[in-house]
Amino acid sequence: MARLIRTEKEVEGRYEEVWLVVEEDSLDQWPAGPREIVGRDAVRVDGRERATGQAVYTADLAKPGMLHTAVLRSPHPRARVARIDLAPALAMPGVHAAIGPGDIEQLTSDCSFQGEAIAAVCADSLAHARTALRAIVCEFEVLEPLLDPDEAVRQGSLLGEARERSRGDYERGLAEADVVVEAEFRTQVVLHNSMETHQAVVEWMADGVEVHISTQYIWGIRDAVAQGLALPPDKVRIVCHYMGGGFGSKNSPDDYTFIAAELAKRTNRPVKCALTRREENTAAGNRNATIQRLTVGARSDGTLTALGGEFVNAVGWDGWSSGTEGPMQMLYACPNVKTTTYGAKLNLPPMKAFRAPGFVEGTFGLEALLDELATKLDLDPLELRRRNHTEATPEGNEYSGKNLLECYRRAEPHWERRHEVRARSTETVKRGVGMASQIWYGGGGPPSYAWIRVGSDGRATVVTAMQDSGTGTKTAMAQIAAEELGIPLEHVTVTLGDSDRGPYAAISAGSSTTPSMGPAVRAAAADARGQIEDIAEQRGLKGAPVHEVVDVLEDSQILGKGARGPNPTGMQVLTFGVQVAEVAVDIETGEVWVERIAAVHDVGRVINPLGASSQIEGGIIQGIGHTLSEERLHDPATGRLLTTTLDAYKLPTIADVPEIVSELIDEPDTHLTNLGSKGLGEPPIIPTAAAIANAIRDATGADVRRLPISREEMLRALREAETRQKEKVGAPAGV
Amino acid sequence: MQLTVNGHQYEVHGEVGTTLAEALREELSLTGTKIACGEGHCGACTVLVDDEPVLSCITLVHAVDGARVTTIEGLRDHPMIDAFVRSDALQCGFCTPGQIVSAVALVESEPAPTTEQIRHAMAGNLCRCGAYPKIEEAIRTWQG
Amino acid sequence: MELRRASSTTFDGLPVHGGTEVVPLLRAGLLRTDTLVDIRGVVPRDIAPGRIGAGATLAQLECDPGIPEVLREACRLAASPQLRNMGSLAGNLLQSTRCWYWRLGWPCRLHRVANGYGDECFARDGEHREHAIFANDYCASAHPSDVAAALLALDARLRTTARELPVAELYRLPTEADRRTTTLEPGEVILEVTFDECDQSVYLKAMERKRWAFPLVGVAAARRGAKTRVALAGVAPVPWLLSGELDSATPLPRNAYKVDVARALVKRARATIGA
Repeated sequence: MARLIRTEKEVEGRYEEVWLVVEEDSLDQWPAGPREIVGRDAVRVDGRERATGQAVYTADLAKPGMLHTAVLRSPHPRARVARIDLAPALAMPGVHAAIGPGDIEQLTSDCSFQGEAIAAVCADSLAHARTALRAIVCEFEVLEPLLDPDEAVRQGSLLGEARERSRGDYERGLAEADVVVEAEFRTQVVLHNSMETHQAVVEWMADGVEVHISTQYIWGIRDAVAQGLALPPDKVRIVCHYMGGGFGSKNSPDDYTFIAAELAKRTNRPVKCALTRREENTAAGNRNATIQRLTVGARSDGTLTALGGEFVNAVGWDGWSSGTEGPMQMLYACPNVKTTTYGAKLNLPPMKAFRAPGFVEGTFGLEALLDELATKLDLDPLELRRRNHTEATPEGNEYSGKNLLECYRRAEPHWERRHEVRARSTETVKRGVGMASQIWYGGGGPPSYAWIRVGSDGRATVVTAMQDSGTGTKTAMAQIAAEELGIPLEHVTVTLGDSDRGPYAAISAGSSTTPSMGPAVRAAAADARGQIEDIAEQRGLKGAPVHEVVDVLEDSQILGKGARGPNPTGMQVLTFGVQVAEVAVDIETGEVWVERIAAVHDVGRVINPLGASSQIEGGIIQGIGHTLSEERLHDPATGRLLTTTLDAYKLPTIADVPEIVSELIDEPDTHLTNLGSKGLGEPPIIPTAAAIANAIRDATGADVRRLPISREEMLRALREAETRQKEKVGAPAGV
Repeated sequence: MQLTVNGHQYEVHGEVGTTLAEALREELSLTGTKIACGEGHCGACTVLVDDEPVLSCITLVHAVDGARVTTIEGLRDHPMIDAFVRSDALQCGFCTPGQIVSAVALVESEPAPTTEQIRHAMAGNLCRCGAYPKIEEAIRTWQG
Repeated sequence: MELRRASSTTFDGLPVHGGTEVVPLLRAGLLRTDTLVDIRGVVPRDIAPGRIGAGATLAQLECDPGIPEVLREACRLAASPQLRNMGSLAGNLLQSTRCWYWRLGWPCRLHRVANGYGDECFARDGEHREHAIFANDYCASAHPSDVAAALLALDARLRTTARELPVAELYRLPTEADRRTTTLEPGEVILEVTFDECDQSVYLKAMERKRWAFPLVGVAAARRGAKTRVALAGVAPVPWLLSGELDSATPLPRNAYKVDVARALVKRARATIGA
């Protein structure tokens, strides 16, 4: 029976209260372990289309008569458009329309960050649109930008209130500590760099609007576009069959969709608006920089007595202040924790969610701090973490499932390699091993729906208007349906990517697609299976294979529907894990390279081990980029961005990849849905930076405090360690 | 001008300055070749010109007059496609056609490449999803 | 714009060979021309001992066993595989210097502005962690050619359509009076590179990822008998022949680390070739 509830919904660590109609989830979970299809390796159902280039991404879409757009974006972080004249652009060859400040909300003459849209031109070719854009006369009055996050906090330039979170008595906890460690950590701005840039093709139909868009959230786009264009949502059709990566940056329609919509309206043509790589790296979001001033207090046996932190998220002009303090609040059993988090509003491009926003940064600070503590206490870092393990949430609630101790146990053989790894050090190349723990959300939630139809050939089609951002969820859904129906995987087709062709489906963010959609697909398949069993009974074919039961149905079809049930009440649904990194550091040149990373994660039941291992590898490799080579730089005086091209902004290449060993606990979360599966999109990127930083400390004794760990930072940390060592040696006995 | 792509002759009309990638995608509708950076930095646009991998987004189409161009559409039956699918060597798939073109060129000259050779030959094809370990595996096992 | 094929080494227009630098700069609006001249047909690309046609690609050179180690390794570690397939030896020598301000078209001293040239080096007071540690007074950009450093170490000579010159004389530091960074005259084309055999040579490159990155510091060293030449890439607005030690470097606040890196690599390079 459908039930109306008021509940908390979590996405990317942010909670909001919502009304939900939830349907009870009456299916029992499958027993743990691999089934016929679920829990076994499956190759991507759409792998061939993607590999052969047949898959049509938004970037590949060419509608008849389609026009192309170029967008004039502010080159200045803060400026007022003193004068703008679109007429010269309109006179250029091939141009059909031009719009400027005031024509739509997304175009402004009051620019607060570099990349803010001012005007746009559409023409019969992209080359013509770009040429015409250069003809626009635009004069700026350049204003002084606010760029320094600490200064923004001092001035009160904040996005939202400062977030104070505390439990216990922090001051008393510090007083009870035998050892206190303080450190300041900084993390850089990182760019998503999805290979397919943000883009949309918009066409006005007789009745409503059709939007093809590279997105992670078909239904969120539908709502936002409907609202922005003042249309009823069912007059907005959103289509995304294939998309070229998002990593959190493609959850909203943004300026380009509305620019295309306005130009399409004015020209009565389909209009594409696609960001260039440089626009992508300016205006399409980023993982914001952070400053973390952290303190830990502990007894000599390693028991944490106090954790405290001041976190400054350099959010940019818009976005939100993500939960950088989350790991410090959630990971350990410490009774006294006090954190303050500021979201600095700056004249820099707005942040967007980027794979576990806040937790990637916060875990680097916290877990590096803990290893500095372990060094001071002369304690094994893994043992330190075990001693502060917690079986209930620090607020006293139950976890729906937590196997972090099991992760630690399985990480032991990797951790044990440290003696052998260190022994391979040479005079100039030092080797070491480091570890870090991971905590994050990833439970997904309702609503999410799926339909299924089974024909007389015994083949099934799953219909749901979800998206596959490249994570392989389409394949996972096919596996779940095939398993429940008891038919071969090749006999299941999943159709997705179209809001006119299927029910509501969850956002592909916050590691939520599989835990949100999977249970709905299974419920739909179970509904169909129940009907097939009824038919089997009537035909005297009880227990027979599906295709035998339905083979007389001719054009009749079995239709099933399913919904995602509620999350367990009073429980926190989280994911856990640990990574162990092995690194080598050339102490003369400051070069750091990662030689091996072992990852053990607990995300409940695993649907497709092959796809899961790919997710883990991908997360770790992005983590390595974050740790060692990626950084968006801006000119310190003007705030203008410097590294928006892929020669200057250095993503990892295949040559930078270490040996990666991944393991999943694969225990269903018995309290969570009919599957017991959680998401895996984000967990693997979370502990990587900290594990690498801790391995560097193990190898060299140097405390790296800043990402990326460039040669400059590495050599600085080595020099500092050397000075510390000299002072220690030179100090009088007893000090 | 005449363009020979995947063994077929085409007439191309773009202005000088048009790149090979633009001509393939816009004039010939061969959209398997992707443009991800448009300035020669990422490898998504990789095609073969006279059997060598080049960046079609910074190759002027008028400069390949008389050359043989092979795109992913011309490699549809190459065993490397199956190797990529089998090894799960793609995630979002946007860089994949370019990866496969580079991989095919590698194994055509070195059928059993070492890890070092794979990493050297594939370093110009960026994959943001991080499918690299599986790409390496696909190339190591392409012959089945 | 029109594209012509050169039928001889005398032509009017902007020469283009592999196009890996010219095409992106044209598209970014940093280079302008009405006439592009494809010179691939008139520049030799054959490789013989001590003599390389200027049109040979980096990909050809990286796997040719007859090429001295320093040059082979410089080619192997340069750019990306596709760029090495496209780019020629001379094109690599003539690539523009690296500076993000310059590449983004900031009106710096090397860019023409409305009346003349810009009068500021933005990197000096701005972000310069990848920039020059030598001769960075006027312009702090860092010339990235691995190949040029290798040829400097080899004391190679160039033959152009107009003259013969040591590779060192191809480059010049920009000055207030003359902002050019090469001595090549309009219409002059490099045809051939020659060098004498050396006993031992090596190229070491520090970069921010294992492949496909410009050098933070590249160190080329070649020894003939008791005489060793060491040249650096990525440390000055032009390829830099090291005379004396690294103590004469003049790093900026955020790139002093490059001096440490260079010192370590020079030491290793010398040790490797028995200098």
